[in-house]
Amino acid sequence: MTPSALAPVSPQKPRPAPRPVQPWIAADVSARRITDEVMHPLISRPGAAWLASFALAVLALAVGVASVAYEVATGVGVWGLNKTVGWAFDITNFVFWIGIGHAGTLISAILLLLRQQWRTSISRSAEAMTIFAVLCAAVFPLIHMGRPWLAFWVIPYPNSRGPLWVNFRSPLLWDVFAINTYLTISLVFWYLGMIPDFATLRDRTAAGSRRLVYSLLSFGWNGSARTWSRYETATTILAGLATPLVISVHTIVSMDFATSVLPGWHSTVFPPYFVAGAVFSGFGMVLTLLIITRTVMHLEHYISIRHLEVMAKVMLLTGSIVGLAYALEFFNAWYGGNVYERYAFVNRASGPYAWCFWIMVLCNVLAPQLLWIRRVRRSVAALFLLSIMVNIGMWFERFVIIVTSLHRSYLPSSWTMYRPTIIEVGTLVGSFGLFFTCFLAFIRVLPMIAMWEVKAVTGHASETTHE
Amino acid sequence: MANDLTFWKNRVHVETSREDLETNRADLETSRRDFLTRMGFVLAASALAGCSRGAVQKAIPFLIKPEETMPGVATWYASTCGACSAGCGLLVKTRDGRPIKIEGNTESPLSGGGTCASGQATVLSLYDAERLKGPTWLGVPVTWQDVDARIEERLRAAMAGRHNLVLLSGTIVSPSTRALIAEWKARVPTFRHVVYDAVSFSALRRATGACFAIDGLPHYRFDRATTIVGIEADFLGTWLSPVEFTRQYARRRRPDAAGVMSRHYQFEAGVSLTGTNADHRVPIAASQQGAVALAILRRVAIEAGVETGAAEVDGAIDEGAVASAAEDLWRHRGASLVVSGSQDTATQIVVHAINALLGNIGTTVDIESPSLQKQGDDRSLAQLVDEMQRGDIHGLMLYGVNPAYDFPDAARFARGMESVALTISFADRLDETASLAHAVCPDHHFLEAWNDAEAVTASFSLAQPAIAPLLDTRAAQDSLLKWLGKEPDFYAYVREFWRTHIHPTDARGRTFDELWDHALHDGVYYRDVPAAKTPPFRPSRAFTAAWQSAAHEVAGQGRSSAAPAADRYELHLYETVAIRDGRHANNPWLQELPDPVTKITWGNYLVLAPSLARRLGVESGDVVRMGVPDAQIELPAYVQPGQSPGTVSIALGYGRQHAGKVAYGVGANAFPLVTSFDGERQYHRGGVVLQKAGRSEPLATTQAHHSMEGRPIVRTTTLSALLSEETEARPEAASLWADREGGPHRWGLAIDLNSCTGCSACVTACQAENNVPVVGRDEVLRGREMHWIRIDAYTGGSEDHPETLVQPMMCQHCQNAPCETVCPVAATTHSSDGLNQQVYNRCIGTRYCENNCPYKVRRFNWFRYAQNEAFDFNMNNPVGRMVLNPDVTVRSRGVMEKCSMCIQRVQDGKLLAKQEGRPVADGDIKTACQQVCPADSIVFGDLNDPESRVARMRAGQRHYLVLDEIGTKPNVGYLMKIKNRSEA
Repeated sequence: MTPSALAPVSPQKPRPAPRPVQPWIAADVSARRITDEVMHPLISRPGAAWLASFALAVLALAVGVASVAYEVATGVGVWGLNKTVGWAFDITNFVFWIGIGHAGTLISAILLLLRQQWRTSISRSAEAMTIFAVLCAAVFPLIHMGRPWLAFWVIPYPNSRGPLWVNFRSPLLWDVFAINTYLTISLVFWYLGMIPDFATLRDRTAAGSRRLVYSLLSFGWNGSARTWSRYETATTILAGLATPLVISVHTIVSMDFATSVLPGWHSTVFPPYFVAGAVFSGFGMVLTLLIITRTVMHLEHYISIRHLEVMAKVMLLTGSIVGLAYALEFFNAWYGGNVYERYAFVNRASGPYAWCFWIMVLCNVLAPQLLWIRRVRRSVAALFLLSIMVNIGMWFERFVIIVTSLHRSYLPSSWTMYRPTIIEVGTLVGSFGLFFTCFLAFIRVLPMIAMWEVKAVTGHASETTHE
Repeated sequence: MANDLTFWKNRVHVETSREDLETNRADLETSRRDFLTRMGFVLAASALAGCSRGAVQKAIPFLIKPEETMPGVATWYASTCGACSAGCGLLVKTRDGRPIKIEGNTESPLSGGGTCASGQATVLSLYDAERLKGPTWLGVPVTWQDVDARIEERLRAAMAGRHNLVLLSGTIVSPSTRALIAEWKARVPTFRHVVYDAVSFSALRRATGACFAIDGLPHYRFDRATTIVGIEADFLGTWLSPVEFTRQYARRRRPDAAGVMSRHYQFEAGVSLTGTNADHRVPIAASQQGAVALAILRRVAIEAGVETGAAEVDGAIDEGAVASAAEDLWRHRGASLVVSGSQDTATQIVVHAINALLGNIGTTVDIESPSLQKQGDDRSLAQLVDEMQRGDIHGLMLYGVNPAYDFPDAARFARGMESVALTISFADRLDETASLAHAVCPDHHFLEAWNDAEAVTASFSLAQPAIAPLLDTRAAQDSLLKWLGKEPDFYAYVREFWRTHIHPTDARGRTFDELWDHALHDGVYYRDVPAAKTPPFRPSRAFTAAWQSAAHEVAGQGRSSAAPAADRYELHLYETVAIRDGRHANNPWLQELPDPVTKITWGNYLVLAPSLARRLGVESGDVVRMGVPDAQIELPAYVQPGQSPGTVSIALGYGRQHAGKVAYGVGANAFPLVTSFDGERQYHRGGVVLQKAGRSEPLATTQAHHSMEGRPIVRTTTLSALLSEETEARPEAASLWADREGGPHRWGLAIDLNSCTGCSACVTACQAENNVPVVGRDEVLRGREMHWIRIDAYTGGSEDHPETLVQPMMCQHCQNAPCETVCPVAATTHSSDGLNQQVYNRCIGTRYCENNCPYKVRRFNWFRYAQNEAFDFNMNNPVGRMVLNPDVTVRSRGVMEKCSMCIQRVQDGKLLAKQEGRPVADGDIKTACQQVCPADSIVFGDLNDPESRVARMRAGQRHYLVLDEIGTKPNVGYLMKIKNRSEA
């Protein structure tokens, strides 16, 4: 029986109703409410949770200061380094903290240029995190030197010793330029982004010293259309300047290793590998910080589950790139046939530091794959746990790269073991102390959400600032 | 007035000017304040600018320049080493009137220009702050007058009462001192001289006396030997005259024109430095030395067609190796040599017999000019100790000995000392023995004293002071002269001795003063022995009888030493290259010198074979208690491949309690474990019990990994491959980059791994030359020793028959240095003459250069090592700092350092050539490591000069560069080691 040309068309399956688009900022918050809620931590008394965390952070910072003071006064010998392993915790921590900073710049700058509106509520904290992370990172190159009081010699200043310039071929020197540029631009960008908010704060504060500070900081902001227009241009330019830094800074940091001759370091995959790793670890830290903050400060409707989910997706992407890079390293070592390179990787996976390597693989490659699952991506607890794991994994990645390549390189007669001392652990703890002290102070002293950006996104930008 | 007109144009002007004046006055007032402010600022600024960063130090120049001394220019004195009795010739470098470096005297027929590590380190023992500052009586400092008065009074009473007086001394090779002692014997009938060597050679001495009727030891000539068999004799490390033997041995390791090089077999229980150099090393139990000698004798006798008359020995020795050795010995009879370190007289007689049957006597075994070392006789020593116990000794003088530490029954000796009415020690400190003596009359350090030496008959050398005595010490010989009632001027005595005994036989027709001046200048003098044709040695009937009965005896011993009980092991005691018999225990350079075989510092340990370690469940570092019926010792274990499976080894010379703070608590004293057999002290024993002590002690090693991991780091070739030209020099790896522009010179080194034995003298020489700090045991444990040159020892092969390859490794001065590119402040640069320079005052200590160095030759100053209580070694006291070389900076904390190829010597050489208006000649400049090497394996020179030794070595067949495939283009090259295995 031939189908009739006029047979009735089978009823089409009803299209599923489109999933309701969740707003980035939950609930319909007014501009006034945004201002009130963001200003609240700045004017209220700190709660027990904040006090406890701050005390802990200050304690950790004190431990760090004591460790560093002891090390600078007595000598680098108080660490566990030796004639074979010249860097371990010091440069691991340096790269770790610099890497963390990249997420902030990506969120503030790159996503700004890409006009991703979801960045607005998290960009300020993320950028703050970048500043503090870079500060923590900058401590390490200073204190790891044998003669840190002469650290200024890395700066090419005119002098009467020849003049004697620095060695421009050294990656450590490129680091000096890169980190300083990064810090400067990040600071300027961060501050610039806060000007309209300082203005809001100025307008909402009664006369007094606080108001004076805010009015100074707001740089004479008048909120006129022309000012806004110029401001947008300035922000866009700065974002454009900051964007390449996300790639360049960690590329340069990776050159510390890639331009050396050591097996396991001497690899062209390092720049993209490190940049991906930096964004990866940065997003991990951002997630950790924001999950804590949004819960404690009750800012869930500004930093919604959707924000967290998108950040988790970025983490998944960059984590996969990092995993791919690990695989590439092993493949290249095998394919290249270089005995030294091959051994470096065999040693990583099965030598005395293999436990570090496998923690790294678990935390960086395996665990983030859970983020393919939507339920995991949208679970705050899971995201929190995963973000901690990512940070642990990324710390171990730098440790594995540095120490396993150093402790067993070309001549087996120099092979040795490295063990950290309590001073190095104290210094690491201190860096976390510094970071959290700064961050905790930040959330009480500066507006941690970019009010003006959020208002712009929720459609309240046109409202005047009087409300 | 005319001037006034120019200022005051018109009255209006005057009015205005007056107004101006008012304002000007006001200005002046403020400007005065301004002026003062400015001046104040200028004053402050100039004061600040004028402030120097450091404390002001005053240097006061001489008003009248001392003759023959130019500040900044070294003065050299020829002398003789007093570190042991080998009598190596030295040239002592002094600056500003104090010795800072010891070098070998190339004129010496024995040592050539070489010295050993202990010899290098003696310059530091001169500046030991723990030396006694003057004489003591019962431990209390007194004046010389006082102690002399007391001693002379007691001596007079002893002589009057015809009581026994004994001088107990170490081996004295000084003919003048021996003459002085002979004078004492002549003057005092009840006086006698007993010689005591901490490590005894009395068996060899007795055997030599019995076989050849000479009073001495044979003078061995390894340079005349094509086949060498060593039986438990570490002749390259510690046995008899290691510097001389190394020099001779190295000569024969180079294939001659006929393509012949020596072949070396070593039979030993522990792994010694000599053993690691042997072509064939056979582990034996320490008790099997006699059996091995007998087995070789049997085979050689068969070849020689002589009856041995000894029954077969049921020994578990490697007959294959013995056969191979015997065959080689016979093939090169007359140019072969068998040496033994045994303390069994019968075994030594057997060895003499082997050499005699091989026709070696007169060639490799020189008995015409015997060695005068190791004069100790164990039997007379035992007799003395017995007499002391009985109270028969009234006066005892101890010169260069420490029996309360190193005598096997030290407690008995100490008790004996209590029965002696007058004990006098000439020790330089209150050591174990001196602290028990009544009087301590500290002797000069040999660098402060006049002396002479005749270590080998007819080969004389002189020792002269290179510095006036630092402390209130007096030469022991001066003390002996004084107490004899003569003028205490040993210098005059030596001169007189030479005038009366040596000058008359001088065939060169010189006056005595001419002879003396020449001898003092050269440091050495050898008597012209008329080149009379010495007839070939014919063994006398007595000799034949002696060795046949000795063979019987050794065979009997082999039978009687039944298979040991299952859990009983043998112990073998040995000397380390650095500490020897303990005399150098307080020398931090030597305590920190990595042992050439194990690379362990700061302590001794119990060496075990891997199979034994597994059986006991012991790993390196586990403390093991080793017990024999009369003594016990606890030491950390060290698992050594190649160690004889049933034997454990322990080094002597440690566990000193009274040597000083450097030695205190380092290691354990193994001397109580020395036994005796047939009147001779034995350095091995059986019946040893081993037990784990249940704790561990880390071993401060400088090299933790001994496998080369299949990497072509130390390359070897075989003699046949070399001769058939199968060995190819690998061409330098091609490079994309243009070569670096250089200057007229390109300094480089070539290191011949074939002659390097691994003795580590270069390590100490470099430390002395370049002010390398001592860091102590804890820092070595953390991997931070500071030696600029190290000897890497790689072990391969099976665990029972390993093969060791050594390689001196220092900065390779790469033309394409990985360290230079990465320093952020350009603290490491490349000079136009090829050196990689480390600029200490620019270094900020980022350690990137250390990380990027593939050879890991850079050393970082982790702490302040000088003038720091935490590192209380020679750099922490003003006396110890006198050894520092003023031409080399002492580095501060936080700065990187490394081998500079002795740039101070390079500059010296270039400057001298410039002053003399000529180009730098090859051989003008010698690095410290090159200069000291007894085997002449390190050669420095100008690679740009094709005629220089180093350039010719570099162009040679065996030359290669380490890790050149990574493109570093090192200026330091190595020559492959040649293995000369027997084809069997």
